[in-house]
Amino acid sequence: LQNEKWMNVKVGDIIKLENNQFVAADLLLLSSSEPHGLCYIETAELDGETNLKVRHALSVTSELGGDMNRLARFDGIVVCEAPNNKLDKFTGVLSWKDSKHSLNNEKIILRGCVLRNTSWCFGMVIFAGPDTKLMQNSGKTKFKRTSIDRLMNTLVLWIFGFLVCLGIILGIANSIWENQVGDQFRTFLFWNEGEKSSVFSGFLTFWSYIIILNTVVPISLYVSMEVIRLGHSYFINWDRKMYYYGTATAAEARTTTLNEELGQIEYVFSDKTGTLTQNIMTFKKCSINGRIYGEIHDDLGQKTEITKKKEPVDFSVKSQADRTFQFFDQSLMESIKLGDPKVHEFLRLLALCHTVMPEENSAGQLIYQVQSPDEGALVTAARNLGFIFKSRTPETITIEELGTLVTYQLLAFLDFNNIRKRMSVIVRNPEGQIKLYSKGADTVLFEKLHSSNEEDLLSLTSDHLSEFAGEGLRTLAIAYRDLDDKYFKEWHKMLEDANAAIDERDERIAELYEEIERDLMLLGATAVEDKLQEGVIETVTSLSLANIKIWVLTGDKQETAINIGYACNMLTDDMNDMFVIAGNNAVEVREELRKAKESLFGQNRSFSNGHIVCEKKQQLELDSVVEETVTGDYALIINGHSLAYALESDVKNDFLELACMCKTVVCCRVTPLQKAQVVELVKNHRNAVTLAIGDGANDVSMIKSAHIGVGISGQEGLQAVLASDFSFAQFRYLQRLLLVHGRWSYFRMCKFLCYFFYKNFAFTLVHFWFGFFCGFSAQTVYDQWFITLFNIVYTSLPVLAMGIFDQDVNDQNSMDHPQLYQPGQLNLLFNKHKFFTCMVHGIYTSLALFIIPYGAFYNVAGEDGQHIADYQSFAVTMATSLVIVVSVQIALDTSYWTVINHVFIWGSIATYFCILFTMHSNDIFSTFPSQFPFVGNALHSLTQKCVWLVILLTTVASVMPVVAFRFLRVDLYPTLSDQIRQWQKAQKKARPPRSRRPQTRRSSSRRSGYAFAHQEGYGELITSGKNMRAKNPPTSGLEKTLYNSTSWIENLCKKTTDTVNSFSQDKTVKL
Amino acid sequence: MEKRPQHDLSRLPDNTALKQQKLPAQQLHFSATGVLTIFFATGVFCLCMGIILILSANSIQEIEINYTKICANCAKLREDAFNFDKECNCSIPFYLSREMKGNVYMYYKLYGFHQNLYRYILSRSNSQLAGKDVMAVEDCAPFKMSHNKTPIAPCGAIANSMFNDTIILSYNPTSSLHIKVPMLSSEITWWTDKYVKFHNPHYTNLAEEFAGTTKPPNWPKPIYELDEKDPKNNGFLNDDLIVWMRTAAFPTFKKLYRRLIRTHHFVKGLPAGNYSFNITYNFPVTRFQGEKSVVLSTQTQYGSKSLFLGLAYTVTGAVTWMASFSIMAIHLTKKREPFFPKQ
Repeated sequence: LQNEKWMNVKVGDIIKLENNQFVAADLLLLSSSEPHGLCYIETAELDGETNLKVRHALSVTSELGGDMNRLARFDGIVVCEAPNNKLDKFTGVLSWKDSKHSLNNEKIILRGCVLRNTSWCFGMVIFAGPDTKLMQNSGKTKFKRTSIDRLMNTLVLWIFGFLVCLGIILGIANSIWENQVGDQFRTFLFWNEGEKSSVFSGFLTFWSYIIILNTVVPISLYVSMEVIRLGHSYFINWDRKMYYYGTATAAEARTTTLNEELGQIEYVFSDKTGTLTQNIMTFKKCSINGRIYGEIHDDLGQKTEITKKKEPVDFSVKSQADRTFQFFDQSLMESIKLGDPKVHEFLRLLALCHTVMPEENSAGQLIYQVQSPDEGALVTAARNLGFIFKSRTPETITIEELGTLVTYQLLAFLDFNNIRKRMSVIVRNPEGQIKLYSKGADTVLFEKLHSSNEEDLLSLTSDHLSEFAGEGLRTLAIAYRDLDDKYFKEWHKMLEDANAAIDERDERIAELYEEIERDLMLLGATAVEDKLQEGVIETVTSLSLANIKIWVLTGDKQETAINIGYACNMLTDDMNDMFVIAGNNAVEVREELRKAKESLFGQNRSFSNGHIVCEKKQQLELDSVVEETVTGDYALIINGHSLAYALESDVKNDFLELACMCKTVVCCRVTPLQKAQVVELVKNHRNAVTLAIGDGANDVSMIKSAHIGVGISGQEGLQAVLASDFSFAQFRYLQRLLLVHGRWSYFRMCKFLCYFFYKNFAFTLVHFWFGFFCGFSAQTVYDQWFITLFNIVYTSLPVLAMGIFDQDVNDQNSMDHPQLYQPGQLNLLFNKHKFFTCMVHGIYTSLALFIIPYGAFYNVAGEDGQHIADYQSFAVTMATSLVIVVSVQIALDTSYWTVINHVFIWGSIATYFCILFTMHSNDIFSTFPSQFPFVGNALHSLTQKCVWLVILLTTVASVMPVVAFRFLRVDLYPTLSDQIRQWQKAQKKARPPRSRRPQTRRSSSRRSGYAFAHQEGYGELITSGKNMRAKNPPTSGLEKTLYNSTSWIENLCKKTTDTVNSFSQDKTVKL
Repeated sequence: MEKRPQHDLSRLPDNTALKQQKLPAQQLHFSATGVLTIFFATGVFCLCMGIILILSANSIQEIEINYTKICANCAKLREDAFNFDKECNCSIPFYLSREMKGNVYMYYKLYGFHQNLYRYILSRSNSQLAGKDVMAVEDCAPFKMSHNKTPIAPCGAIANSMFNDTIILSYNPTSSLHIKVPMLSSEITWWTDKYVKFHNPHYTNLAEEFAGTTKPPNWPKPIYELDEKDPKNNGFLNDDLIVWMRTAAFPTFKKLYRRLIRTHHFVKGLPAGNYSFNITYNFPVTRFQGEKSVVLSTQTQYGSKSLFLGLAYTVTGAVTWMASFSIMAIHLTKKREPFFPKQ
């Protein structure tokens, strides 16, 4: 046995894994520390499910145990399928010792799983490296560009075309001019050697003008854009409000080229486990005998939010307490101390009725191995409140009740399944009483109650349940029943008969269960919180206000996914309808989609008189989807099987159309690759910008295929983060990333682009106008030095400062008004139309810049009679006007004047004059007479009043229309951003802005949590004693050992798939 | 937030205004009063400026006499380049109805002469003109060398096409009395041009300085014989040459030729009366279908007689005023609901 790195693991190796280790490759399980070659794994990284799954080795190989020598001699040959991406299927055959054993998914441990509750196991590597199912599921990495980039490429091509057009016009004009006018001018200016025709001259002029006018094609633009994005990325990295103290992780922009796309997101695809939820269940509240425990009342008797400031109940006095448990209501402890029998019974039930396995770790601490985190939360709660579940055998359960050990005899275990939605145990207590303890979904359990239950209690508990559910908690109702000996014995006999029966065994057992689980006495209810990540609800609410559609893509079960949907406010009871697509073949799926659509449009038609606008927009692409706006909220739930069919090409559009009209879409039981396919579908057919967020390896493909991938960092596993473009520690930071950073980035980038195009047009087109007066001879208007320095020195910094620092509204207001996000989604701030506006603005400015000095310099002389209308003075006047006009323009564009903006804008103008005077100075001319021929020009021109009058008039003429248009636009058609700016300004005057948090309102539908995270079959495991250590040898006399040793596992598998189907059938009836 | 491990605070971003994007800043805001004030103020300023400029332009007296057609015989003579050595004089009488007060400047004005062509502008040697090296003719194509490979001084198309008419203004108080109006050719150039940009090489005798070079082909005389009366006004420092070498931006331009010396009759300027221009017609303009004229003009502090700037200011001012009234009207008629953000 030797330590190896993952990279060195090869197919055929036998490797040993220890508890809580990540599995390095796809393995065939050979043996494990647990009896019968069992092995527990957590597949959260693969499918997001967090409950433990059982894998078991072939019985022939499990005998190998931990014997090194025998393992080393293992020489079985595995023939199996080729590497593929199906996580839930495996077929293969193991040939060993002249016999063949078929292999299925139950014998395989996939890479990316984590070994749990199993101290070690051995496995043979079947697939390694890129062949593993996990890696097969991760999509290809693509080079990501933003939509602005793509638009830019088009625009640059257009500009280039425009440039060529100008060149051709000027070239032809030059030919004509040379022919008509220049010809007569030949005495003063001969042809150069070798170019003696006007056509050739025109050709040369064309190229000269291409070179002169090339400043319209903004080459420095790309560099500047990258600089701006880099700046924005640093702002994300530096944001303290996206820093998570818990894990000490700051947000990180891992790509610096996608920032402005963050301001254009329309669809967010989110993983569930680890992203929306923390994957922690906590016992929050309970209602016992009509009284609520777990709420905090302040002095005035008002309910208050549980805050961290409140002192939790101190459990540290109890040696067995679990430290992480927190409960905030002292009154429950008081009730326990007072010995309220109902409270005791309630807690006893929690300690008895479950499938938890106790274990002691090396430090002697009691550790619970839980199969569903819900149950873990309940049992831990009971433990902390003094009813400690200590140990169990197949026949007994030992608990410590307030310090005294009590052993109950376990008579029957009525296991959970998804139809019953409840579980019960029948125990005999030391006093000899037989009791049935039951917990289950409230809807189911309330029907089973005895009529002798007090009406008050029922209605109170019912109210409490609604209240719990309203807070997003998962609820369970708790009830018991006293049984008399005789009745139980009869029933038990019938149960044995039923178990022995060959046909209709399950049905008969179910009937018997129904029979005994009635006339229950209600004890109360529990409320368990599937802890969402902090701030998820606020984030989801504000993102949906920002018109961002959130789709949940999870590998988890449908019920869990729906529950989380409710908890996050994505699904609410106010929704008009919820469509569940759970067909098992293409025909069913198509039918279900059709029905869903029919009902969607049917409803529209039914109240079409004014309430509903159903407008058809133009088709997007050739296989486009008709987008119709449907008022009313709809939700779509689809599972992985159906999704596979829905993604087929002929149904694809129907699915997409339906999904896009729904407010919320939840895809459950999807494979990583399907996640990517869904993202691709929306990306390709909707023309929308997508963002995928996830934390695990199963999200990698989705993160890679979305326009922007976000990884949740700071937890185990780095795959998602490594594949992502942005990463942070908490889902709630998505709100800030999109609404603040994304919006700002987009806003700044658009302003930057508009200004940049404007500036270059204003700068360059002057040459075009001058061409008409200089015989199209490709004479530049400005001095060569000015042309060189203009874009780099004189005007680059102010616009960069604007691109990096500008803000229209502050971050708090961006968060408070998610509607501000919509211009980005609609691409309003920079598009082709805007580009033309900028271009026209630039052309107008260039015209003003040229016409006014031309008119003024025509036939003019200076104050001292000397002439000032020479070419050099004209160049200096134009250049100065240009610098001043574009500086005034950037000053108008900058809406957020920081010190840096001031320094850059004033600095640029100052730099211009400094450089101008330096280059026109006597000294530099005497050193380089031919490089700096403008000697004395600045001084001479800029001391003339006339020149300043020209500059002033040019500035007024080019800036005033802009001011007028802007003011009128804001005055007449203010955008939300304008209004908020105005309001913000008024607020600032009045008082410092107070921070407001959106009120969180939750839906109040009642949902029982029990059905969700639980798997059937564990009852059998317990009662058969299969999962118990050798120190509790299974008793052969127990009735459940009727099954042979593997049947329960097969049952387990069978029923897992059944649950999904049965539930979905249950739902489809509703359609 | 409850757990805040001290050692991990190193990864916490700095709480500086720059990094948190909280730099104190002014927000530019177009408020109605602000914009309207700016508009009205600009309008007032432009209107006033325009009126001042128009008035000042109107106070300028300017006489322009286009002598292309008047001296038709000379023009015809000059069309043929072979007649370069034949002198042609032309006298143009005119009547000055009003006295020209103050400094009077005499300009020549050319129409349709493209001093702004790309190859033309480049065709000069600044090193040569600065007197560093009379042989430096690299930049002067196509007038670098004469046919016998002697460098031209001053080289280049600009110098070669120098305006070379001689214009003399005479005051004729009576039909028999002809008083030559005293004119100065000094101080018609920029100071920097005369003292920095243009220098003669350092020899005592100008002719020696330019030994080894030849005159431009269009010139009748070499550079050191430009002004026979004033030996200092020769070589590269000749004022007319310097003025010509400062190329015009547009094909129609006027250049300062002489300025009035205010003595004797002319202390107050040019008195009203009969005058005549005696022109030695050398510069051929009909070849490129151009025209030439002579201009007498007074000056104000805003320059010469050009209505454009005044009109442009007036128009801009008027438009701005109109715009500000319409903006005000629009602003006042628009009903606005006060904005309160939804809570």
